[in-house]
Amino acid sequence: MKNKIFLALLVLVCSFSCSDLEEELREDLTAEEAAKLVDVSSLLAASYDGMRTFQDVARYHMVTQMHTSDELLGPTRGPDWDDNGIWRSLHSHTWAADHAYLAASFSEILQVVFNTTNLLNFNPSTQQAAEARFLRAFCVFAIADGWGQVPFREAGTSLLEDAQVLSAQEALDFIIDEMNDIMGDLPDGPAYVANKDAAKGLLIKTYLNKGAFLNRQSPTFDQGDMNQVISLADQIINSGKYSLGNYFDNFAPNNDEISTENIFTGENRGGSSSGAVRSRWFCGLHYNQNPSGWNGFTTLSDFYDSFGDPDDVRLGGDYAGQTDVGGLKTGFLVGQQLDQNGTALLDRKGNALAFTREVALRETGNNLEITGIRVIKYTVDYNGGDNADNDYVFYRLADVMLMKAEAQLRNGDPSSALAIVNQIRVARNADALGSLDLDVLLAERGRELYWEGHRRTDLIRFGKFLNAWQEKAASGPERLLFPIPAQSLAGNPNLVQNPGY
Amino acid sequence: MKGNLYSSLRRISLLGICILFGAAMTFAQRTISGTVVDNTGEPLIGANILIKGTSSGTITDIDGNYTIRANDGDVLVFSYTGYQGQEITVSGQSTVNVTLVQGQLLDEIVVVGYGTVLKRDVTGSVASLKAENFNKGIFTSPDQLLQGRLAGVNVINNSGQPGGEATVKIRGNNSIRAGANPLYVVDGIPLDGRSARAGLISTDIGDIPNSNPLNFLNPSDIASIEVLKDASSAAIFGSRGANGVILVTTKKSLSDQPTIDFSVSAGVSSILKKYEVLNGDEYRSALQDYGNTGGNGGDNVDAFDEILRTGVTQNYNFSIGGGGDNNRYRLSFGYADIEGIVRESGIKKYNAALNSTFDFLDDRAGVDVFIVANHATEDIAPVSTNAGFTGNLVAQALQWNPTVPLYTNNGDFTSGMNNPLVGATTINPVALLAAHDERANTTTLLAGISPFVNITDKLQYRYRFGVNYGQGTTRGNIRGWINVQGIENRGFAAISHTDLVSQLHAHTLNFNTDLTSNLSFSALVGFEYQKFDFRGEAFAGRGFDVLDRDNTVNLQNGAPSDYLSFSFADPISELQSYFGRVNFNLKDKYLLTASIRADGSSKFGENNRYGYFPSFAVAWKLSNEDFISGGVFDDLKLRLGWGQTGNQEFPAGAAQERYQFTSGGVQQENVANPDLKWESSSTLNVGLDFALFDYALSGTIEYFSRNTDDLLLDPFVSEPGPAVRAWRNITGEVVNSGLEIALSAFLIEKSNVSLQLGANASFLNNEFSNFDGATIQVGELFGQGISDATVQVMTNGQPLNTFFTREFMGLDDAGNSIYRDNGDVFYVLGDPNADLILGATANLTVDKLSVGLNFNGAFGHQLYNNTANSVLPIGNLGTRNIDANLIGGEIRESTANAIAPSSRYIEDGDFIKLANATVSYEIGKVGSFNNINVSLTGQNLFVITDYTGFDPEVNTVNLANGIPSSGIEYVPYPSARSFLLSVAFSF
Repeated sequence: MKNKIFLALLVLVCSFSCSDLEEELREDLTAEEAAKLVDVSSLLAASYDGMRTFQDVARYHMVTQMHTSDELLGPTRGPDWDDNGIWRSLHSHTWAADHAYLAASFSEILQVVFNTTNLLNFNPSTQQAAEARFLRAFCVFAIADGWGQVPFREAGTSLLEDAQVLSAQEALDFIIDEMNDIMGDLPDGPAYVANKDAAKGLLIKTYLNKGAFLNRQSPTFDQGDMNQVISLADQIINSGKYSLGNYFDNFAPNNDEISTENIFTGENRGGSSSGAVRSRWFCGLHYNQNPSGWNGFTTLSDFYDSFGDPDDVRLGGDYAGQTDVGGLKTGFLVGQQLDQNGTALLDRKGNALAFTREVALRETGNNLEITGIRVIKYTVDYNGGDNADNDYVFYRLADVMLMKAEAQLRNGDPSSALAIVNQIRVARNADALGSLDLDVLLAERGRELYWEGHRRTDLIRFGKFLNAWQEKAASGPERLLFPIPAQSLAGNPNLVQNPGY
Repeated sequence: MKGNLYSSLRRISLLGICILFGAAMTFAQRTISGTVVDNTGEPLIGANILIKGTSSGTITDIDGNYTIRANDGDVLVFSYTGYQGQEITVSGQSTVNVTLVQGQLLDEIVVVGYGTVLKRDVTGSVASLKAENFNKGIFTSPDQLLQGRLAGVNVINNSGQPGGEATVKIRGNNSIRAGANPLYVVDGIPLDGRSARAGLISTDIGDIPNSNPLNFLNPSDIASIEVLKDASSAAIFGSRGANGVILVTTKKSLSDQPTIDFSVSAGVSSILKKYEVLNGDEYRSALQDYGNTGGNGGDNVDAFDEILRTGVTQNYNFSIGGGGDNNRYRLSFGYADIEGIVRESGIKKYNAALNSTFDFLDDRAGVDVFIVANHATEDIAPVSTNAGFTGNLVAQALQWNPTVPLYTNNGDFTSGMNNPLVGATTINPVALLAAHDERANTTTLLAGISPFVNITDKLQYRYRFGVNYGQGTTRGNIRGWINVQGIENRGFAAISHTDLVSQLHAHTLNFNTDLTSNLSFSALVGFEYQKFDFRGEAFAGRGFDVLDRDNTVNLQNGAPSDYLSFSFADPISELQSYFGRVNFNLKDKYLLTASIRADGSSKFGENNRYGYFPSFAVAWKLSNEDFISGGVFDDLKLRLGWGQTGNQEFPAGAAQERYQFTSGGVQQENVANPDLKWESSSTLNVGLDFALFDYALSGTIEYFSRNTDDLLLDPFVSEPGPAVRAWRNITGEVVNSGLEIALSAFLIEKSNVSLQLGANASFLNNEFSNFDGATIQVGELFGQGISDATVQVMTNGQPLNTFFTREFMGLDDAGNSIYRDNGDVFYVLGDPNADLILGATANLTVDKLSVGLNFNGAFGHQLYNNTANSVLPIGNLGTRNIDANLIGGEIRESTANAIAPSSRYIEDGDFIKLANATVSYEIGKVGSFNNINVSLTGQNLFVITDYTGFDPEVNTVNLANGIPSSGIEYVPYPSARSFLLSVAFSF
């Protein structure tokens, strides 16, 4: 009897014994499954989605290109927007290696570099590979611009190996080689897909900024590089695909349909899937405006005053679908704000909601809610819910034209350059200029391309980035690069901290 | 340490060794019966009767009667908690009546991993609390029964919402990441540790604190809770033992006689401690003082009162127990309806439990069965942990301008639309209460069946199958007329559902023998397999045609562009274990325990599939040595233990390369790490147990030191990387060390009067060391003006969660904050880990009346009052309310002073609390009702603290990168003070 029971028990024990402990994934795929099942188009879609990091209010474009420059200020408004000084440190050029938004920008852009590299292991079509390689090069440019060195792994390299690091020179060579290699494989459009003109745009930026990337303190500009800029720009300008149009149409919810200038954009699908382009209007709008905003960022009066001509359409005005719905104008919001019926709005304390020209890095007065000129570059999408429809603009025609003009100017041809600048100014209903020098050209780039994510790069290339300006003292040469984020530095011994940090 | 263990003088001891070890294993037996009484003649209920050298026995019923089958020559061992044991040899009697004398404290039976031991034979650090010593009051889960009662065990509520989760730390914090809660084992079944309560997809009002995963247990079904504190006791739980183990043992039937127990209690709860803000008149005077001509609505309103209420609690518990020669059963039903002190919140629990045992084959085999079934319905208040600048319900109520009525003359909710004094983004708290509905239904089943066979009288085989099934459905609806950004004019409705299933198969062999007359030996070997499965789905919509209704019933009406759906299924994780333990007892003086467990987990990387967790412990019963025996010491035992334990509470799938489906594509989200393994803790424990003066004074002193390394972190993969993160075992260790003292003293011990005092103290030290990585920023703050700001760090050489922020130096003449180094440099400015945790009890019994008091406190730590920092700053003046402390200072603070995180809001967290006080009266027998007991309990009666926030014992937990904050208060659901009247009787 005993033995039988014992035997029965042994059987029971054995029936539940010995799992091999292989972990079965459910919601996710293993590498093998992914290789077998995943369509490359899904990986490519995720790569494009990754590019939405540029739209985020606390990421690369806004943080590195705008806050650090003379076109944007993130003031601390008494009880609001202190945020541990994370915004102030950008405008006052006092950021450190633990700056959370700089670190996240670095990481998220390099995620796109990873995703686009990884995709190449999945047998993409020629065009898919070309698109991915364009996105990768675009991101390599952004990292080289911000940090001067680019961690990089070739396709198929183990992630557990420390990434190699491309110097600025190597990064630029890489971009030029890649673009020349894939140019023929890219489609002609539309703007929200990596296309031939986008690749040319990236090449133009690469040649134009090469001298600054390689010597940030005193950039020099090689004549051959400038000729490359001119020739590539001409290919775009003369293609007949683009023309200067209604300025704010480029940033409207339906800009994919009505813009005549956009060359490369990030697609946002209204009502279904978008990046954080909405933050571009939320960040400045007051709580009591429609839509209710975050009452944060402003531009500076010196920058605003650089326009001069009050008829310049880039200063903004009424915009159908926005002003009639929420009372908001486009461009620069200064003075009394109205609702859609024309009634004057009040701030939270019951005072007139009239944005002042002046604003300080630390606002301490009684009017701290209303200081500073707000900016509406992307017109408000009232229909998209959480997902605004406005495609995010990376490259557009006027930028290419101004880069061509700059190359001509740097190559000693100011009259050709002036003609281009005036062509743009006339299209924007601004008085034509009589003459052109580098300072004027930089100012024109500011007027045309404000709050589009180009300003820091421009200021460095024109040698002005370390200057004092409103709410900022002159800064040291280390500020020409951002520090390698502390966590990233600790994770990859091949990275060397930039000087001065 | 176990100050309370020895106070069980009159109440029932619920744990019978017979039930744990099964049935008698004897032949040609006959029945012996009798009564066990104490020296005053009172029957002892639940006294143990064990046949010596076997695992068979029984316990006495409520009249002290017992029946047992034994052979002539068998020795019956009678024991009872707090009483001296007796041994009587069977030689023909059919009746054996026994009188036990108080004193032999260490005969208590203590549950340990996979078995039980006599208290006097314990070699590790095991703290035990019996039902009669549990905290009294309104509780939904068993962890709250322990708060303050045991040295080294710290329980802090994460929310005051009934049913809210608690942070339980045994001997300090082990882990950088989340997953530092102890392992819970209920009647031998290790739990998953997560709650099946479903959370909603983004509601725009922030995340609601988690529900307590132990809510499914009815506190009144619990007989005892044991806490395995050191590695020598917890190592048998291997890779899940590093945070300590809490063993919950449910009640079994005490008697063969059918016995019905019934208790009913009713209580009221109200807020323990209010946050001091200005009232209407003070606000007007502040406005005047500041020369602010606006902002006065002319009224006197306490918005905070308007969201609160007196919560009413009802609790009914019914159980029936009994049995026959071959079976015992206990069946219980419980119903609890606990209203929260915030309106529209509360929990209803429906509970049923069955616990039974059956014997077969002349008691040579048997089966234990237990089932706990629970359904909980939680009504959840919109008190989120991470609300942005518009705040959560508590913030909105605190901030409400106290001069502005909450309702208009028409009875509408006041808002920016109808009152210019109210800003567009200011949310009327009573309106939010009306607009917001969130109800979570969670159903949990825990069932175990455990057949056993006594193969010989020395060898027992037991199989245990357990299943824990939880499923939760949460429905949330926010009406679109409320001015919450994202919900206004759209509405919001969401439904979420989760399934959480775990399974256990365990096989154990127990062997007991006397090798020689001086040396006894016991051994355990086992195999165990566990499987965990967690999945869920959620749907949400916005943009409904009709805003003022519950749209969870018609999600399809939402705008197609706003429809959200989401589902997940974690990898099924498996844990396969082999374990063994041996105990030697030489001359009842020298004890040795050694154990080992090999844990294989599917979560570990393939190069580290199995972890090995050894332990050794020795104990020396000095009181049995001639040179001590007969002296002042009744008991004296020195214990020394060492062991290794692990922590594998990291997500399944962490070791594998994984590709994730996003809303628009597929991307790699995780990097493979074939070396990924558990966090490993090594603990050294030295303890001294003692009893003096005829057991009038007893206690334990222990020192421990625990090093935890192979810490798990998911830092950024070295860029360019796929996922944001990759799991690694990093360099660095967390060192916890401390000293624990527990004392219990019977100051008066007479037949009708007794006074017992108990105290426990834990001195703890915590440090993060040998860490060479970059400082990890944690402790993210939420609220106006502090987006993405952090105030804590994990950095080498400091305690975990050290406060690291600007140092506040006062206000300048203009009323703006001055910071050391202009605020550009941050400093280490405090530590949220308490240096000293205290508990104290007093129990006085005079005849039939008894009074019990339980105090607890914590000292030497700091808390961050983010309620003051971001919700009630001076800048609110004119639009919203402010902290009352901001008025009347020497320097008038500028209303433009920035809301900057700084040491200004770091406060000492020292407190002492009267956690509960109970007066009870034993009426005894009336008619056919027995044991009638009436008691009145006050819970959270007072708290003494300088802390200016709500409750120094509430911790608002937010995760940053998977790392929890600690000691940060941010407009939590407030704690309640409760009074509870209970009547219990049996028949």
